[in-house]
Amino acid sequence: MHYTELQVTTNFSFLRGGSHPEEVVEQAAALGYTAIAITDHNTLAGIVRGHVAAKAKGIRFIPACRLNLLDGPSLLAYPKDRDAYGRLSGLLTEGNMRAEKGQCHLYKADVYKYAAGIQFILLPPDTLNTQFDFDTDFKSALQEYKQMFGKELYIAAIRSYQSDDSKRLFRVSLLSRQFDIPMVATNDIHYHNRGRRELQDILTCIREKCTIYTAGLRLFQNAERYMKPVHEMIRLFRQYPDAITLTQKITEVCTFSLDTLEYIYPEEITSDGRSPQQELVELTWKGAKEHFGDEIPEDIRKTINMELEFMERKNYASYFLTVYDYVRFAREQRILCQGRGSAANSVVCYCLGITSVNPREFKLLFARFMSDARDEPPDIDVDFEHERREEVMQYIYNKYGRDRAGIVATVTQVHWKGAVRDVGKAMGLSADAVDRLSKSRYELTPEWLEGKSGSSEGFDSNDKHLMKVLQLTEEYIGFPRQLGQHTGGFVITRDKLSDLCPILNARMEDRTNIEWNKDDIEALGFLKVDVLALGMLTCIRKAFDLAEEHYNLELTLANVPQGDKAVYEMISNADTIGVFQIESRAQMSMLPRLRPEKFYDLVIEVAIVRPGPIQGDMVHPYLRRRNKEEPIEYPKEELKSILDRTCGVPLFQEQAMEIAIVAAGFTPAEADGLRRSMATFKAKGLVSQYKEKLVGGMVANGYEEEFAKRVFKQLEGFGSYGFPESHAASFALLVYISSWIKCHYPDIFAASLLNSMPMGFYQPAQIVIDAQKHGVEMLPVDINFSDWDNTLEERNGKYYKVRLGFRQVKGLKEGEMRVLVGGRYPSYKHIHTLLDTGISIIALEKLADADAFRSIGLDRRQALWEISSLNDRPVGMFQGQPSESAAEQPVNLPKMSASEHVLQDYSTTSLSLKAHPVGFVRKQLFTGGILSARELQLWPDGTLVRIAGLVLIRQRPGTANGICFITIEDETGTANLVVFKKLFEKYRKEIVRSKLLMVEGKLQREGQVTHVVVKHCYDMSALLTDLGTVKEEDSLLQTISCSSEEDNGIYRGKNKKSSVSKVIQGEIFPAARDFK
Amino acid sequence: MKYHLEEQPDMGKRFINIWFHHLMTDWFVRHNPGLQDEPFVLVAPDRGRVIIKAASPAAGVLGIEPGMVVADARAILPSLQVFNEETSRKDKLLNELAEWCIRYTPIVALDTSDGLILDISGCAHLWGGERQYLKEIIAKLKSFGYQVRAAIADTIGACWAIARYGRLTAIIEPGMQAEALLPLPPVALRLDTNVLERMHKLGFYQIRSFVSMPHNTLKRRFGPILLEKLAQALGEVEETIQPIRPVQPYQERLPSLEPIRTAAGIEIALKDLLETLCIRLLQEGKGLRKAIFKGCRVDGKMQQIEIGTNHPTRNVSHLFKLFELKINTIRPGLGLELFLLEAPVVEILSMEQETLWNITKGSANKVVMNLLDRIGVRVGINAIHRYLPDEHHWPERSVRLAASLQEKNPLIWRTDLPRPVCLLPLPERIEVTAPIPDYPPMLFRYKGKVHKVRKADGPERIEQEWWLEQGLHRDYYCVEDDTGARYWLFRLGNYGEDKPEWFVHGFFA
Repeated sequence: MHYTELQVTTNFSFLRGGSHPEEVVEQAAALGYTAIAITDHNTLAGIVRGHVAAKAKGIRFIPACRLNLLDGPSLLAYPKDRDAYGRLSGLLTEGNMRAEKGQCHLYKADVYKYAAGIQFILLPPDTLNTQFDFDTDFKSALQEYKQMFGKELYIAAIRSYQSDDSKRLFRVSLLSRQFDIPMVATNDIHYHNRGRRELQDILTCIREKCTIYTAGLRLFQNAERYMKPVHEMIRLFRQYPDAITLTQKITEVCTFSLDTLEYIYPEEITSDGRSPQQELVELTWKGAKEHFGDEIPEDIRKTINMELEFMERKNYASYFLTVYDYVRFAREQRILCQGRGSAANSVVCYCLGITSVNPREFKLLFARFMSDARDEPPDIDVDFEHERREEVMQYIYNKYGRDRAGIVATVTQVHWKGAVRDVGKAMGLSADAVDRLSKSRYELTPEWLEGKSGSSEGFDSNDKHLMKVLQLTEEYIGFPRQLGQHTGGFVITRDKLSDLCPILNARMEDRTNIEWNKDDIEALGFLKVDVLALGMLTCIRKAFDLAEEHYNLELTLANVPQGDKAVYEMISNADTIGVFQIESRAQMSMLPRLRPEKFYDLVIEVAIVRPGPIQGDMVHPYLRRRNKEEPIEYPKEELKSILDRTCGVPLFQEQAMEIAIVAAGFTPAEADGLRRSMATFKAKGLVSQYKEKLVGGMVANGYEEEFAKRVFKQLEGFGSYGFPESHAASFALLVYISSWIKCHYPDIFAASLLNSMPMGFYQPAQIVIDAQKHGVEMLPVDINFSDWDNTLEERNGKYYKVRLGFRQVKGLKEGEMRVLVGGRYPSYKHIHTLLDTGISIIALEKLADADAFRSIGLDRRQALWEISSLNDRPVGMFQGQPSESAAEQPVNLPKMSASEHVLQDYSTTSLSLKAHPVGFVRKQLFTGGILSARELQLWPDGTLVRIAGLVLIRQRPGTANGICFITIEDETGTANLVVFKKLFEKYRKEIVRSKLLMVEGKLQREGQVTHVVVKHCYDMSALLTDLGTVKEEDSLLQTISCSSEEDNGIYRGKNKKSSVSKVIQGEIFPAARDFK
Repeated sequence: MKYHLEEQPDMGKRFINIWFHHLMTDWFVRHNPGLQDEPFVLVAPDRGRVIIKAASPAAGVLGIEPGMVVADARAILPSLQVFNEETSRKDKLLNELAEWCIRYTPIVALDTSDGLILDISGCAHLWGGERQYLKEIIAKLKSFGYQVRAAIADTIGACWAIARYGRLTAIIEPGMQAEALLPLPPVALRLDTNVLERMHKLGFYQIRSFVSMPHNTLKRRFGPILLEKLAQALGEVEETIQPIRPVQPYQERLPSLEPIRTAAGIEIALKDLLETLCIRLLQEGKGLRKAIFKGCRVDGKMQQIEIGTNHPTRNVSHLFKLFELKINTIRPGLGLELFLLEAPVVEILSMEQETLWNITKGSANKVVMNLLDRIGVRVGINAIHRYLPDEHHWPERSVRLAASLQEKNPLIWRTDLPRPVCLLPLPERIEVTAPIPDYPPMLFRYKGKVHKVRKADGPERIEQEWWLEQGLHRDYYCVEDDTGARYWLFRLGNYGEDKPEWFVHGFFA
């Protein structure tokens, strides 16, 4: 006798199942099952994983689903064939689409509609009523189901050691006989082994939002819902042996396998009845003529032919045409886009306009990325302007319809922080303890477990309750938490997408996605296309528009002049604030050392400051070799062809993988598997296995072990932050273009960058200061001159003046400001006319705060004084009459000092064109022996210096061993600080809290790069807050204080300024940006 | 009840404002002396975040202030100690302090959430002048561990401002409040933050910057509230406060002309007192739950008896019955000269309940309650137990003792599971003959007697609640022996894996 488990709830029934589909399938194989079904609740999200695992173990997998209905008892559904599967998927799609994300509303009538070819098992209620019988509701539903499904209906018999098991089985068998519904045994599995019961209980608590102590009867009373050996199942059902045999009947009938799902490209991508390949050939040559002229150079012709022939062989034409289709749409709509990825760097893609990287100029040959040996599907990510990507997505939905196009899901996994929070809460820890625990992970090391090291939060490894929390947390990590939507991966099919996989509503409006993620799709051989968003493209688009309007230039990504010496000079000087990718502190310190001279240098620059090369310790060897401080040599001659373009040092992911193939004897598939396994931390256990194979293989082939280990480390780094050459090349183009704009048109660059905010590393203030440094005149926000966006005004010498727009003022609304601009004929003379135009008092106050009334002769204080009296403006029939305030006597307002103005500027627009706040305290700083940022250049390496400035950025990269990098700014420029881990701990408060930070440290200069290695930190923010308050006149001494003799100093300071002025002003300076 | 200032020609009004600027943390240190000078905060969840509600002075020095998110404070000081704030504690505490202050003046009012206002008109001379008076109050409060700032002035507004923002002197001589207010920031006038924000932007850092502006100009820009607060602080307009008053305890007194020594006399006194008290309770819509009858003996010793009821009542005869049983425990000695009846616990009892007494529905319940009251008086209330179901699968934990007879039961008794009428508090060992692995026993020996099992149902497997206790699971069986008696048996653990033992855990009816 044999048995097949037909009722399995995995963790894809979120917060119900306690095991991964893979675990269940593997356990089944281990127990000698030959087939297994997975029946998650109203979803098919987990079946691909089950399918892949079952395939690996050589057992049959039955894709199935449990249908929880809103108006009837639940059913298990097993499609018999491909068509029935399509119907099941369609049924779930219907249920998903009418509900919010994460829910599926199904009714009996829906099931009847899609029932053909599906076997159903009816699930009886868990308990009997007081008469030891099923309720009549259930019985009548059963009769109705029988009528609708006939021979396809079974009824489940479950024995999970409840008190009424035997009575219930008896009742089921009676019903079975009475209505001729065969009774089939299932075990209602919720976890693959008994040990998971605790976690499953915790999941129940998380689901029910209670703690384990209050969960009570919502938990299962025993641990019997685990996978039992076949003989045990047979013993449990010894009185009903037919129930066991029947499982085999269902197994035999349901022959559908996910392997038979076939992906078919949509038809719309071809025209005039051509085949996809013909269409691709046609379009490619047409594009080639546009790009290269009628006389296509011979080498290009040869390459195109070669590529086209390769694509035909691999049958990729449809894929390229699909991508071409929406790229063409974007170009028609003037949406900038740029393709990247292994296949994007082909001449064909260049001809189709998918990429603007001219493969001819940069010698990035397709063949390097694609070959017959590597059986990877093509992969093209296309970036679009972030503000307009939605248009492209909606184009795809509209063209193919929502039933044929959907976004791939991302299965969000539970990570440590979330896991420990949920588990901790369910285990009854206080919110505070949970909070502390979730931040202490780095301290809970093996040493801590052995009691050798403590925890700063006082967690004790002898605390059993805590250890249980941690154990359950470890088990819970990696569980799927929800189906999110992929950032932009689309699946488009010829027929209904819902035939392949259920579709569901995404959280965002107007988006629908499928239930499977990209790994699932890949496992089944579906192809997806990526439609991604990139802020820099928005910025470049805006810059191109401004260039056309003001400089009469018609720029595209492809026609920006390449190889401009001035641009490379600027980049080499690390003058790259705001530029794509190479604006970070780490990148900027690398630039002067690398001194890029040609496009390929930029490709390297983009890829080199990445965790992969840094962890693999590849950066310094490369720099030495490039600067000819070290000879270029190859570990072995066979690697020369792989490594010669990077001076013999592997920097790109492709190179590391090629080394694995050439030097360690990996097959291409293995090398790819290696890269992938690095990415998923679930597979962490497997890493050492690969390490042995890679390092061992290389050593066996005569490589030095040290080199082999470095290659492996680099691969490890790539796993999580893959940055292959093919992507770097595309990014490098955007780096070049943004640098080119910045170099030649800093006015346009600043305006378009500010108009695309928020993006990049820097605050508006830094971008404005940087533009001013480059000779651009910046003009303040003004009611008579500004637009919503930042705009260019008349030309002043080389560049146009940039007028700051209303978007820089916090809290203004775009629509209202458009009204303001629209009502400006020819200019505003009085504040109350603004009010009459329909601008609210609140907006006027914000404009006053931003000092935008200068053109009518009012400073912010006077403007506010006027505005605050507008409340009693005559209305109704008296509208237009002068208000009472017109008659009031003029009042002398206290005059505002320059420093007060600057602080106000900062608090409303995060920047000031008047002065830099640190300038006001320069005198005090000077007396304290504190240098300005510019003066740092005057001192030699190793000098002890003091420097102070506003904190712009604090950064503690994971690769830097706890070192904190801080950038501070004063009125003369910026300075870079390095704080080592120990000092960071010591001065944590100062570093985290200070707006104005003063440090003492040692100057360190390497080439053009200057740092201060910090020794001491001081918080001097009080100096700045003092700027905002006038000196109090009552400097009389305190006679008898309010709280008798001693009024402690703490309280005095607080009373006087900080607490009071803070309440009033709010935070003046924008918080520094923190990057982990 | 509002308390109004009354014009007194000869003596002006004087007020003290006492500001407890670290009220909660001071209180916390009082109860946890180890925290003295330690940086710690009291927190409470607020819209999904944990917000600091109070910070100790040592934490304040580091820049940790109320209103911050705990996570931010931890960024400054990882070792910061964090405690949960009990939300009701602060009001209670301030009330207690206010009551304590009544020794200085009968009129004490609460001021926002962390201060007190005392109307001290005509009080200070008893302490030797305002300076001594103020010193005394501050010193006393300090000795309790509270840091305070306090100030005396003619108006509530002025002393509030000086206590919080004053820098020169704590005592503002009569009529001098205007001068004292001039250098203070506008916030000292108790204004809204948006008004303050606007004032700050306009550069009005001190009250003197705007105090002399035309009223119309000010009113238009800052609303009438500014003028009102200003006038209050200057004493141009009166301000009312709401004094707290100690709650009158429910107590009735009956002095007797001659010492009473007989039970009859005591009963008359008791009845008399009960009637007076119950009339008062009726007027206030209350009923008592606990009453104490005290008799003061001529020799100064006190005799007392106490009763409790299961529901609020003001029924004289019922209460008398309850007392009656205990009257013989009073030893009158040489005689009782004063009788007191106190009701330390009273609850709201509405009129409707009163009229339903003993008439219609619910009367059965009342009768039971009255019966239980009487049994309780006889055998002690602790001998009466009530059990309620509890949400646990594990049988021992599936019932619990009710805290009181009134306790509302949110759960219903489950009827879908076979559970014995009598559950043994501790399962008792039995010996069995049973087929393995999990079939019911064929016979078992309990207390030396062998029972042959005729019918059986089970097993029902119940697993240990792992978060409370570790151990083997139990397989429960309902069995019937040859006499027809039914038992609830279980086996601990599985054959083959553990060494199972058998127990009897209950009996069915």
